[in-house]
Amino acid sequence: MKKIMKTAALSAAFAAGIALAAPASAQEDSIYIPNLSYRTGPFAATGTPLMNGQRDYITLLNERDGGLNGTKLVYDECETGYNTEKGVECYERTKENAVVTQPWSTGITLQVLPKSNVDEIPILAPGYGFSPMANGKVFQWAFNPPSSYWDGASMILKHISEGNLDNLNGKKIALLHLDHPYGKEPIPLLEVLAEKHGFTLLPIPVGLTEMQNQSAQWLQIRRERPDFVLMWGWGAMNAGAVTEAAKTRYPMDQFIGIWWSGHDGDLKLIGEEGKGYRSISWSVPMPDSQLLQDVREYVVEPGKSLIENESELDSVFYQRGLMISAILVEAIRAAQEEFDAQAPDATQVRWGLENLNMDEARLEELGAAGMLVPFKTSCADHTGHGGAWMLEWDGEKFVKVSDLITPDREAIEPLEEQEAQAYAEANAPWPINEECNM
Amino acid sequence: MDFLNAIFVQPFADMAAAPDFLLQVVWEGLVGGVLYALIALGFVLIYKSSRIFNFAQGIMVVFAALTLVGLHEKGVPALLALPLTLLVMLVLAVAIERAVLRPLVNQPDIILFMATIGITLFLIGFGEIIFGGENKVMITRELMIPTDSITMDLFGGFVSIEEKDLTSVIGSVLLVAALLLFLNRTKTGRAIRALGDDHQAALSVGISLSTIWVVVWFIAGVIALATGIAWGARAGVSFALEVIAYKALPVLMLGGLESVMGAIIGGLAIGILEKLFEVYWGQPLMGGNTEAWFAYVLALIVLLFRPQGLFGERIIERV
Repeated sequence: MKKIMKTAALSAAFAAGIALAAPASAQEDSIYIPNLSYRTGPFAATGTPLMNGQRDYITLLNERDGGLNGTKLVYDECETGYNTEKGVECYERTKENAVVTQPWSTGITLQVLPKSNVDEIPILAPGYGFSPMANGKVFQWAFNPPSSYWDGASMILKHISEGNLDNLNGKKIALLHLDHPYGKEPIPLLEVLAEKHGFTLLPIPVGLTEMQNQSAQWLQIRRERPDFVLMWGWGAMNAGAVTEAAKTRYPMDQFIGIWWSGHDGDLKLIGEEGKGYRSISWSVPMPDSQLLQDVREYVVEPGKSLIENESELDSVFYQRGLMISAILVEAIRAAQEEFDAQAPDATQVRWGLENLNMDEARLEELGAAGMLVPFKTSCADHTGHGGAWMLEWDGEKFVKVSDLITPDREAIEPLEEQEAQAYAEANAPWPINEECNM
Repeated sequence: MDFLNAIFVQPFADMAAAPDFLLQVVWEGLVGGVLYALIALGFVLIYKSSRIFNFAQGIMVVFAALTLVGLHEKGVPALLALPLTLLVMLVLAVAIERAVLRPLVNQPDIILFMATIGITLFLIGFGEIIFGGENKVMITRELMIPTDSITMDLFGGFVSIEEKDLTSVIGSVLLVAALLLFLNRTKTGRAIRALGDDHQAALSVGISLSTIWVVVWFIAGVIALATGIAWGARAGVSFALEVIAYKALPVLMLGGLESVMGAIIGGLAIGILEKLFEVYWGQPLMGGNTEAWFAYVLALIVLLFRPQGLFGERIIERV
């Protein structure tokens, strides 16, 4: 009952926050940060810890530091349920006074992308969205730091081939993916690399209604016997896949997921049987970091967090949520300093996102050393391509098992350039940032 | 020629070449089909007795499974959590009858259908507040459901059967048998069928509409719990289970909305055929994920020839 009352009280406070958000954001003493979140529906299990992390980081700054350089941050969630149509509605509803939009789905990002040039609101899609958004000259208002999906695909292949993709010659690699824009995103790059390095790519789509019943997909894997299975899964699909992999007795050390397929909650379903499953990740949980200690002291203990239990604090997704808000806040901070503005506007925050420098020293100052790959953005590079680490499930939790892996930019850049130009031509007239000379 | 070969020859050659794999595909289809049939049964029972298409059946599966796991997380032993969850489903049935259905008696069907959408939204929000959105582990072992697998060496290959899937199939068969006995051999069961046949005639002989509604919503809750345990044991318990309910729609179209037998046969047929089609035709020829639409196409073909479904009642209205 206590929990219900607490949740109800928080919900009421949250609703009040939403109601007050828009007028408050119009004032000079606050910065309005909407988030197109999803805490309900088939993807809630993976969305909730991420949103909790994002929300708690903003709460921490407001509680511990009185905001960002004295300016209150107004965090506002609009529930999309990971549904593209609802996401677009949420974007329209929250765009007034917003300094950023966080679409939280590749499908929503693709819908919002053309609007960003008109509304002049930067899109922040950390580790997701359309990979060619890395090209800042074409996608002036879109940012996907610190690594794109194509970076992720490249790094996974680099890892399984032990640094030389030619070692994959003659191998068969299955891509088990959600049948959704997100899941299909790595296919163009993987096709190019398959042709170049002589491996066979076998895309295996998983529909929304089959996420929890993937027996047909895993029967195909049993029949085709791929050397590796890569997973671009989300929500209930991740749990369904690891369960079927264990059931099919597919070797877990040949099963590797993208960063959104590395959720503690999914692997806990099979525990020991999932030992050896790996997931590439640009963030690593550091339960003993100064940042986590502050979150406990200023957010969790005073009852200002929405987490269900304290063990969530140590999870990959919760701490990635913290890092996502940290990236955004650093961009706003950079804009404050550059423009001497307490409450920078969306155009100024865009400048901040183009001039992010999350190096090791800065992460150390934030109390988050080692929690995020260091990266730097520019007007031409909206991703930063910081790389990632490989995490492995040890039966109870994910642990880091590799040094920093970097993507093969030489292989990716031509495709990025080609696809970015193709997008601009297909959506002509599309403004190009001619002022960027990098 | 190659195309025709890929459609009419190669799949059957593949089946003959690896009969163990074929058996595995049929088994997986059967397990899925039994579970589709269970969900469809929940829809059919409520529709039969009240002409309400219960949109909330999917979320009832989630709610029942989350209640069971949630009670266990609070320290309630699994074997006690099971009857307590049934009690919660009974309370839910009474609440729905009192708060939603009773005030809407004699309203058009569409109003009652919309009311079940309201129940769905309420249960989503209420469930999120009580249980949160995290994926939870089904208490399979605690419910004494075996979790090992049986591997049989057959035809030079092997067929692997998960004991929990086998338990789901046996449990579902027993549940359906008990349900059929209840509907055919008990006074209440006959009253439910009477209401399904003719509402006004049933009321005129003293059958209590409100009691029957509570009974059928409770039975739908029991079926939801069984479905939730079976699906939850496969891939965890989360709000994603609700999506599974969509798989029951083509089953209802195929079997007919009023037929218990239609739900069972429709579920099994769709489960097995969609799996065979996906593995032998869908994946090699269409890139896979044909399960998303195959059942609907199959149901559509049946509807072209039998608009009432395979086992549905033919409705003739005089104008």
